[in-house]
Amino acid sequence: MHTGLTIWFTGLSGSGKTTISRELEMRLRERGVRKLEVLDGDVVRTNLSKGLGFSKEDRDANIRRIGFVAKLLTRNGVLVMTAAISPYRNVRDEIRMDIGDFLEVYTKCPLDTCIERDVKGLYKKAIAGEIPHFTGVSDPYEEPINPEVVCETDKESVEGSTDKILGRMEQLGYLPPAGAVEYAPEEEEKVRERLASLGYI
Amino acid sequence: MKVLVLGLDCATPQLVFDRWRQDLPTLSGLMDQGIYGKLESSNPPITVPAWSCMMSSKDPGQLGFYGFRNRKDHSYDGLFFANSSSVKEDRVWDILGRAGKKVILVGIPQTYPPRPVNGDLITCFLTPDTRSQYTYPPALKAEVERIAEGYILDVDDFRTEDKQRILDTIHSMTVKRFRVMRHLLANRDWDFAMMVEMGIDRIHHGFWKYMDPGHPKYEAGNPWENSIHDYYKVVDQEIARVLAGVPSDTVVYVVSDHGARSMLGGICVNEWLMQKGYLTLKEVPTSPTPIGKVEIDWSKTMAWGEGGYYSRIFMNVQGREPQGMIPAADYEKVRSELIAGLQGIADEKGRNIGTVVHRPEEIYRKCNGVPPDLLTYFGNLDWRSVGSVGMGSIWTYENDTGPDDANHDWHGIFIRRSPGRSGRGEVQGLRLFDIAPTILQDFGLPIPGDMIGKIIA
Repeated sequence: MHTGLTIWFTGLSGSGKTTISRELEMRLRERGVRKLEVLDGDVVRTNLSKGLGFSKEDRDANIRRIGFVAKLLTRNGVLVMTAAISPYRNVRDEIRMDIGDFLEVYTKCPLDTCIERDVKGLYKKAIAGEIPHFTGVSDPYEEPINPEVVCETDKESVEGSTDKILGRMEQLGYLPPAGAVEYAPEEEEKVRERLASLGYI
Repeated sequence: MKVLVLGLDCATPQLVFDRWRQDLPTLSGLMDQGIYGKLESSNPPITVPAWSCMMSSKDPGQLGFYGFRNRKDHSYDGLFFANSSSVKEDRVWDILGRAGKKVILVGIPQTYPPRPVNGDLITCFLTPDTRSQYTYPPALKAEVERIAEGYILDVDDFRTEDKQRILDTIHSMTVKRFRVMRHLLANRDWDFAMMVEMGIDRIHHGFWKYMDPGHPKYEAGNPWENSIHDYYKVVDQEIARVLAGVPSDTVVYVVSDHGARSMLGGICVNEWLMQKGYLTLKEVPTSPTPIGKVEIDWSKTMAWGEGGYYSRIFMNVQGREPQGMIPAADYEKVRSELIAGLQGIADEKGRNIGTVVHRPEEIYRKCNGVPPDLLTYFGNLDWRSVGSVGMGSIWTYENDTGPDDANHDWHGIFIRRSPGRSGRGEVQGLRLFDIAPTILQDFGLPIPGDMIGKIIA
C-alpha cells in the first residue's frame, strides 16, 4: 500500500543526521511503517564503499552508490533513509531526479557548533591536518537550495526536527495523517472564497 | 475485470434521459446496452457530503459532516471544511486497495489532502490551488501538469458577468481532466478507475437561466441558449474517447451526485429569523453583509442560519452554546415552533413555497460531529438559502455572492453497462448509497455489514 520514498539527509559531520534518522525510524515504526531501511554513511563506507577515499571523485562515487541502492529499494516500496554528508549539490540533485520520490532533509548546523560537538573526534584531527579533504574544514559543503525540510539542529530538539519531517511526509502524501489535517489560514481563506463564489456556502 | 466510474457532478436526469437523449450518443448508447435510472441523492443533495456518501455507503450523520462547512464544537465561530481528513470511513477504493486492486482516482470530492492509495490519486476542488500537493504519489503531479499542459482544479472567480471566460474555463478544465484520465488509463495497471468532472455543476449554476424556458429570467434567442447543451455534447464525446481506450468487458458506471433545477430566488434566512424575533444583531447593516461579519447579540438570539443551496439552522441553547438562551427544557418546543414558522414561509405574493424542514436525528442513523439543529430546504429547493443580512427583505433574486440560476435537485443520474449482467432499461428506486456495495459485488468482494445501500442487480 505504501509508496517507496527516499529521505535523504545531508549536512556536516556532527550536524545530527544519524541522530534524527534514528528517532525518525523509531517514530515511523510506531506508526506502522514496516518496510524501512537506513543507509548510514559511516556503515556504508565499511562495506558498500569500502576502499573509497575522500577525494571529490571518490565522494561522488560513494554517494552515487548510496543513491543507486536507495533507488532500488524505493521503487520496491521501501522507505529508505540515507544519512551521509553528501556535500555536493549536483550529485544530490542528480539522485533526486533519478529516484523521483525523494525528500531532502538538510540538517543545518553552524560549523563551530559541529566542531564543539565533535562526537567522533574527527574535527580535532582534521584541524590538526591529520585528515585531508574533511568537509567544512578542508573541503566544501554545498547547502541544498530547496530541501523539503530544514532541521536547525543547534536550535531544535531531536523530537522537534523529527516532527517537522513527519509533518512534511504527511503533507506530501507519503504518510497517512496522524490527526486531522487542517488548512493553513491562507489556504482556508482560498477554499472559503471559492466555495462562497460557487454558492455552496 | 475492470470497473470504471465516470462521475458527472450535477448531471441531471431531465436533460440526459429526456430532453437531450438523442443528442448524446455515447450516454444513450450506454443506457441502451445496460440499465439506467434516477439516483436519489443524499440529504442534503450537495457535493459534500454526497460523493462520500456514495462511495462509503454511509449517510451524512454517520460520516459526521453535513455540508462543506461544519461546526467543530458548539462555539459560535468554530467551523471547519470537510476535506479528506474528515472522512473516517472507508470509501470503496480503500477496501479495493486492501484487497490488492489497483486504483486510479481523479477529481473525486473530499480527496484533498491526498492520502496514500493503492495506485494513483489526483485530488479535488477542495485543494487550495495547483501549487498545493494535489497528487498521490507526489511524483505524479509533474506528470499531470505535463499531460494537461497546466491542470485546472476548478473555475475560480465564478461570480461574474464575464460569461465567456467562465464558459472557456469550464471547457478547458474538462478537456484537460479527461486527457489526464485517458493518459492514466492507458499507462497504468488498474482494476478500478473513477473520475469526477465538476464542469456540469459549474455550467448549470452559471448558465441555467439562458437554457430553461421555465426560469423567470429566461429570454428566448439569447446568445448563451445552447451553452449547456453544447457542453453536454462535449462531455459525451470525451466519454466516448475514454470508452474507446478501455477493454470492452469493463463495467462502466456514469453517475451524478445530485441533479439540477431552476432556481426562483433566495430566501434570506437570517432576515426571516430577525423578523420573527429569533435573531438580534447589535447593529443591522444597511447593505448585504455575511452573517459571519456582523455582531450578533447572543443574549437576545435563539437561532441563526447558514446560507447555501439549503439552510442549516443552529439554536442557541443554555449549557450548550457559550451564551445559550433557550433553556434546555424548551429546546424541542422552540425547535417545533421554528419548523412551523419555516414551513409557513410564503413568496412575495403570499403563496406558501412548500419549505421542507428536517430534524437531523429523524433522517440519519447516527449524528456524529456537531449536526445542525435543523436542515431547511426552501420551497423544497426551488429557492436557495441566503445567509447574508442587511438585505432588507426575506426574498432576493440575486444571490448574496452574485448571479446563480440553478439549484440542486434530489435526483441525479445512474447509468451502468455491465457485460455480465442481463438487466436492460429503466430502473426505479436507486439511491446513491447503492453504488459502493454494487461495485464491491462487481469484484466479488464481501460487502461490509454497515454499508446502508443495496446491491443494484
